[in-house]
Amino acid sequence: MTEERRYDVAVIGAGPAGSRTAAQLARAGLRVLLLEKRPRIGYPVRCAEAVGPREVVERYVALEPPLLSSAINGVVVVSPDGRRLSRTMPGVGFTVDRELFDLRLAEAASAAGAELRTSHQATALLREEGARVCGLRAKDLSSGAAYDVPAAVVVGADGVESLSPRWAGLKGSYRPEEIFSCAEELIDGIDVQDLAIEFHLGARFAPGGYAWVFPKGPARANVGVGLNPLRAGGTTAVEYLNGFIAHRCPAGTRTRLVVGGCVVARGLRALAVDGFVAVGEAANQNNPFSGGGIINALEGADMAAAAIIAALGGGSASAKALGAYTREWRRTVGKANDAFYHAARIFYGLSDDEMSRMTSELASVPGIFDEKGVKPLAMVRALVAAHPRLLVQFARSWLGGKGRR
Amino acid sequence: MKESNREIRIDRETCVVCGACAAACPAEALLVEGLALVVVSGRCRPCGRAALVCPTGALKCPNPG
Repeated sequence: MTEERRYDVAVIGAGPAGSRTAAQLARAGLRVLLLEKRPRIGYPVRCAEAVGPREVVERYVALEPPLLSSAINGVVVVSPDGRRLSRTMPGVGFTVDRELFDLRLAEAASAAGAELRTSHQATALLREEGARVCGLRAKDLSSGAAYDVPAAVVVGADGVESLSPRWAGLKGSYRPEEIFSCAEELIDGIDVQDLAIEFHLGARFAPGGYAWVFPKGPARANVGVGLNPLRAGGTTAVEYLNGFIAHRCPAGTRTRLVVGGCVVARGLRALAVDGFVAVGEAANQNNPFSGGGIINALEGADMAAAAIIAALGGGSASAKALGAYTREWRRTVGKANDAFYHAARIFYGLSDDEMSRMTSELASVPGIFDEKGVKPLAMVRALVAAHPRLLVQFARSWLGGKGRR
Repeated sequence: MKESNREIRIDRETCVVCGACAAACPAEALLVEGLALVVVSGRCRPCGRAALVCPTGALKCPNPG
């Protein structure tokens, strides 16, 4: 069965990337359908809930309680040998209620005129002869009814488990090392008085990744681990989390377990094909060093929307016309992400001893941190300068190309 | 051998439907449908990847890599 109504754009997924893209497109007067397979926007939460500085976040959503949980006023890095390196950075970021965050963005899309359907899931892309994407097939999960949605452009914003960019040929499945396996607990009765965000490094708590404490208030925090599954020796993220909680906050009260995978893969070479673009985690737009992806997804959404508006204005949704989005992404956030990707390959590959040395060396290099956080290129330069033999690994990582898709 | 012995099995008590396995499955055998994790019948070629990335240990693969 085919819908009577034609849409200019069909968006798959009402997380931050999809809702923001839908809102921007609807504001430009386009007819937009926004599909979310889950019955409730933003639930269940699959995120550590930290975002960047206020002026950046407020381009997208008002940062007020109860959406705003806590300010982050500093950074603490605990190296594998237990040394603490701390820096006060007032307002460097915030923690948020991700469910409300997603809900506000979806409401903004609806208010702008996008049609939102929850419990509706995309199951395939429709293609014209010549393979151009011309809409999607969807399923109403409540009734089980399948229907077709013709659309000039489909936006794949279906997150970590996304299939639409795979259907479009933009990426394949992820290798295990391209996913941080994550588990996190919201803990009450934990001491986070200084409201610093903590990163604990080393194989004891999170092999090939890090354990974190993200303050959600003076006595409440997201406490979690994200690890490289290939390095975990068959131990699960939940088991590592239990170990980290026993170390960091044994007396705390567990109130909500959050579990998920987080894409830390290299950026995609192309973000668009004829009639289709991918945005957000579905498009590998997370920071591959930290796994953080909310703001990146929103920035990607604005770039994707601008390119779609221009392409449809010019009467063509070809890969060439939509390619302006790929170029804009790769010129800006994607470029920083490339540097973070190579830094991550080097840094998380270090032994605990090397990582301890490197952490203290990095902390003493001027210019790595600015008021907005870590500067990726400065970090890569410092990593290589501190350990010249890493230059070989870095060159391999940069030139290898095997991970590039 | 029975089909059920040749594909991934989900412990529904432990699985929280986070979707990490679906991201890692090369065969699109694991799908998040709404709030449920679904094994698409006949598609799993047990490779061990999904079980490896699962944060909770809810997946049992007959060929653990």
